[in-house]
Amino acid sequence: MRKVFLALLLLAALAVPAFAQDETLPDFIEHTACEVDLTGETVTVYHFGDISGSYAFITQPLLAGLSDAIAYYNARGGVCGATLASDNRDTGGDLAQTQAHYDYYSTLEDEPDLIVLYASGDAELLSSQMAEDEIPGLISAGSVAGLYGEDGATPGWIYASNPLYSDQIGSFCRYVGANADQFPDPVVGYISWPGAFGEAAYTDETVSYCAAQGVTVLETPEYFPPTATDITTNVQNLVDAGANILYTNSLASGPALVAATVALLGLDDDVQVAGVNWALDTSVGLLGRSSLGSDGLPAVNGLVGSLPFYWWTETDQPGIGLIREQAAANERALSMQNIAYLLGWGLVDTYVELYAVAVNEVGSLDAVDGAVMKGVIENLSYSPLGLYSFDYNGGETRALPGNRIARMLFLNADGTGPATSGEDAMTVPLADGTTAYIPILVPLTEFEPAPDLRPGGADVPAGS
Amino acid sequence: MSANIRPSGVFDTSYAQDIALNRTRFDRLLANGLFVLLLLIPLLTLEGPFGLNILPQLWIGTIMRIAIFVIAVQGLNILVGYTGQISLGHAAFMAVGAYSSAIMARHLGMSFWLALPLSALFTGAVGLIFGLPSLRVKGFYLVMATLAAQFIIPWLLRYPLEPLTNGSRPLDVPAPTLFGLSFASTGAMYYIIIPLSVFLCLAARNITRTRVGRAFVSIRDNDLAAELLGINVFAYKLQAFFLSALYAGIAGCLMAFDTNNITLDSFLLDSSITMLAMLVIGGAGYPLGPLFGVAFVNLLTQNIIPALVVPVRDFVPRVLPFINTVNLYAALSPLLFGLALMVFLIVAPRGLAHRWEIFKIAWKIRPFSH
Amino acid sequence: MATITRTFNNNRRSITTGLYVVAVVLALIWLLPLIGGQRPYRLVQSTITGLLVGGIYALIALGIVVINKASGVFNFAHGWMMLLGGLIFYSFFTSSAAGTVSPAAAVALSLLTMIMVITTNGWRQLMQPRSLAILVIGTAVFSGALLITGANLQFVQALLGAALGGVLTGLVVERFTIRPLIGQPLFAMVLMTLALSELLHGITQLIWGSVEIPLQVFTGVAQLGIPSPIRIDGGETLAGTIIIRTELLIAFILALLAFGGFVAFFRYTSAGLSMRATAENQKLAQSVGLRVRTILAVAWAIAALLAAVAGVLQGGATSLSLNMPLLALRAFPAVLLGGLESIGGALVGGLVIGLVQEWANLLFPGSQAGTELAPYVVLMIVLAIRPDGLFGQKRIERI
Repeated sequence: MRKVFLALLLLAALAVPAFAQDETLPDFIEHTACEVDLTGETVTVYHFGDISGSYAFITQPLLAGLSDAIAYYNARGGVCGATLASDNRDTGGDLAQTQAHYDYYSTLEDEPDLIVLYASGDAELLSSQMAEDEIPGLISAGSVAGLYGEDGATPGWIYASNPLYSDQIGSFCRYVGANADQFPDPVVGYISWPGAFGEAAYTDETVSYCAAQGVTVLETPEYFPPTATDITTNVQNLVDAGANILYTNSLASGPALVAATVALLGLDDDVQVAGVNWALDTSVGLLGRSSLGSDGLPAVNGLVGSLPFYWWTETDQPGIGLIREQAAANERALSMQNIAYLLGWGLVDTYVELYAVAVNEVGSLDAVDGAVMKGVIENLSYSPLGLYSFDYNGGETRALPGNRIARMLFLNADGTGPATSGEDAMTVPLADGTTAYIPILVPLTEFEPAPDLRPGGADVPAGS
Repeated sequence: MSANIRPSGVFDTSYAQDIALNRTRFDRLLANGLFVLLLLIPLLTLEGPFGLNILPQLWIGTIMRIAIFVIAVQGLNILVGYTGQISLGHAAFMAVGAYSSAIMARHLGMSFWLALPLSALFTGAVGLIFGLPSLRVKGFYLVMATLAAQFIIPWLLRYPLEPLTNGSRPLDVPAPTLFGLSFASTGAMYYIIIPLSVFLCLAARNITRTRVGRAFVSIRDNDLAAELLGINVFAYKLQAFFLSALYAGIAGCLMAFDTNNITLDSFLLDSSITMLAMLVIGGAGYPLGPLFGVAFVNLLTQNIIPALVVPVRDFVPRVLPFINTVNLYAALSPLLFGLALMVFLIVAPRGLAHRWEIFKIAWKIRPFSH
Repeated sequence: MATITRTFNNNRRSITTGLYVVAVVLALIWLLPLIGGQRPYRLVQSTITGLLVGGIYALIALGIVVINKASGVFNFAHGWMMLLGGLIFYSFFTSSAAGTVSPAAAVALSLLTMIMVITTNGWRQLMQPRSLAILVIGTAVFSGALLITGANLQFVQALLGAALGGVLTGLVVERFTIRPLIGQPLFAMVLMTLALSELLHGITQLIWGSVEIPLQVFTGVAQLGIPSPIRIDGGETLAGTIIIRTELLIAFILALLAFGGFVAFFRYTSAGLSMRATAENQKLAQSVGLRVRTILAVAWAIAALLAAVAGVLQGGATSLSLNMPLLALRAFPAVLLGGLESIGGALVGGLVIGLVQEWANLLFPGSQAGTELAPYVVLMIVLAIRPDGLFGQKRIERI
């Protein structure tokens, strides 16, 4: 049995006092040594995203992570002495605004060397423009068109920190295929939100790859709007068509609603709910508290999905320890302690390293431009705070392939392992007076590269 | 209307003069001068042929975006402002224009110059279909027919037509070429979009001065009276729908060939609502309304709000320490946008163009107050 | 040619009826095999789900209809009023349970609401001793009720808080945004509701942030011994189990009660009748001594209250999220299907849209026809036959 990583998410957060700030970075962060002193200069993290629109719930923790991390690194020397600053612009989920904000950034007097973006739709819109303007971008989303262009064969200038969504469903199918004892005769029903993000994982390539792994993917995907009150009919459609696994490429209320509906229909034991890396998130675990399954635990208990980085519970990672201390010191609520907060930290650490290398290479901050930065990104092999492995293989890929499959469970009352029933589970009071079960993520596999399933990718079965 | 007021001593001596858009030599000079200035802008930026850094490069993209939306909102103006039929489906018609032109260019190998008029006509035809209910349905019920367009058209494009449109995934659009020259760069597209936008605005201005335009206005003001006067209300309503969709189609097509990449997410209901807002802010039923509205909303979202965000973000936590700064980040842009719109509506409920007309009259009859 | 036209015109009615019959028969020929191919319990299940979901649509539609009835404005901000009401409810619900209701918030909410209620007819009312006395007493009573700590009071307090918040929202909206625009073009007023939704969007994010909140109002139901969900074994005829989601059922029943209440209100109370009179003709109503301002204010308050109820119910059925306002857009077809002025129409419209949605999802799996397409297609068909909706007022027009 694999070692189960466990920790008390909230208790530790409460227990750790704000620690005294010594002015150097902890030893485990090994940035490239600076050959040039940049004291007095500023490195700006340019970011635009849907801060106020319907994806705001995931952008807010990202912003919190970015600002906490920037403050932390600035107090410890910044980038070779230069101060980190941030410039956030709000698109409200409107692509016209995305275009306008991008125009603003790309025509700045001092053109940005690097832009952080967020939504799959934004990446798809800007993919060719960023390549044309020679501005690299960092993203934590993975639709094929956003990273490799419409044909899947023209790599753009945007680099994702997680595997492509299509590759994620691929690694899920691989896992299911390899564990036939747990998943006999697997049939996947795809149920998700409509739109660029929600539909990104359902492609011809993923269907044929899954088939090659012995996993059938139904050809009738169901899409429900994030506003849906009830999706019983959609779920029953898929189950009637033979699905015993429901895969969703949605986040927050999406996976929670799918799992809740499965529990309502009394299908908890027959149907496995699975999802993209965003589905394995604190928000899903917390939203799950309003609908319990037959075992008395939240219906999302047992959700399987991709976990392409280390998680809050894996405290033997020093980076995780640091982020937890800082989240506690900055009084971030439990709902903020999620995937996006981690990524915000990882992003800032990446910035520090990228700029250190780039400045060493060209001699001054002014000489760093998009093309230099692209070279640095593609040739760097680094692990931001130990969260994931930043390595684009000299520019061969646009998405980091490292992935593992994990399961969402809830902590038991002793804090020693996953709870088996509602009575057994640990509950904590939240700031608003309600109680929550504590979601934990248990990796089921080690890190391994996700299959390459973009059109014409290496792992796409021949003849599809 | 202000059109009748001229500086004293200026009289019309011919019919041509009477119907001229620019009645005085000064007006004509001003209009032509502004147009030439507009065309000169790209030459004065850093990426222009002379590398002059007189005007910011940002202006090019902004002006082009404004020009495209002015075309779309001008179409909405014909339908809403002149004919009085509210539409909540304008973005869907833009989608039809964008996707039909992209499909013509990609699958039929048509050039941009052929795809533009064809896709515009096609969109006009689609507009006619959704205008059909106007035979029987009126007022807010007609909003429904256009709202239906806003849901039915994207559904068709997303699912049944997926092989052509790539569904939810983006669709690449080739850059226009002319005699072997590619219009791939932003600056080049400028010279397609701006003249077309000016031309279409003038065309709309002229349409509304003709028999058709007067029929539109009479339908807006009182459709029953119009019918009694012998105006074929249904036929004219259909014409308004057709023209409106035609404009939307052109705007959509330009958008597709400008960004070279389209997704359905650009043409959602939000976008339709925004365009309606732009029209009302600018002044529905005024020829300059769309320009004022689009420019103002653009100024608000791109300049005023981002400029306010930083000071407000730094200031508020000092005064109101209980406000969560992360929440403030998210709240600011909708909050400021909503407030600005509200103040604006209370001050100028008939739109900027109405204010502008009042101002023009006041200027022309100075020093007298009436 | 002329004969054909004449024949057509003379027999217009029978020809249209004939066409309808043909259309219905064709539709049945197309749909019946699809329906026949379904398992019986799925049909029953999706009908029940459709009706229950339709209940929420109906409640939203009702709020929009009430405002339209009184002031002729189509309220685009209704969805945000829902979310705001739900969030206020949530705040009192949770803080009351924890015994941490902020005195400042309770007093401020009561005071502001009382001020707005008293000054409906003009700010000068504040100068009158009698109104001032009402103000003080009202504030004291409401803030007292919000601040008392006691077991099992959380529901009552949350309801009171949400009601006060709803009334306050409605009155403030009417006073500061709609009233200044009286006499201005309708477009301006419609746009004002759009501006209002942006503002409410900002306010909700400023106070409550962007995190989705599950509103656990229905957990008490389980303690009452009502199972959640209610499972009915279909036996042999249905060959499956039918699920009724308890929270949706409660929402549905509440929606029906609200409808009953409103129909009675508009038919039998003097306030309701004067609202109808105002809706009919504002000038005429004013000339017979009705206080049009008050009536408009009351209409907005009622609509905001309805929005809050819908927000709480939807929040309980799913969660309070920034996506909720989009749900109100999905209720637009329900409003127009029933008829813009019809209370009963809102109910029927909501239920029909809910049913159509679920049936389309059931009959055409994998086509995504349910939420995006079917309601609008049905609506277009209904409007083609009845241009004023199912129960809307058909007016004779004069010049």
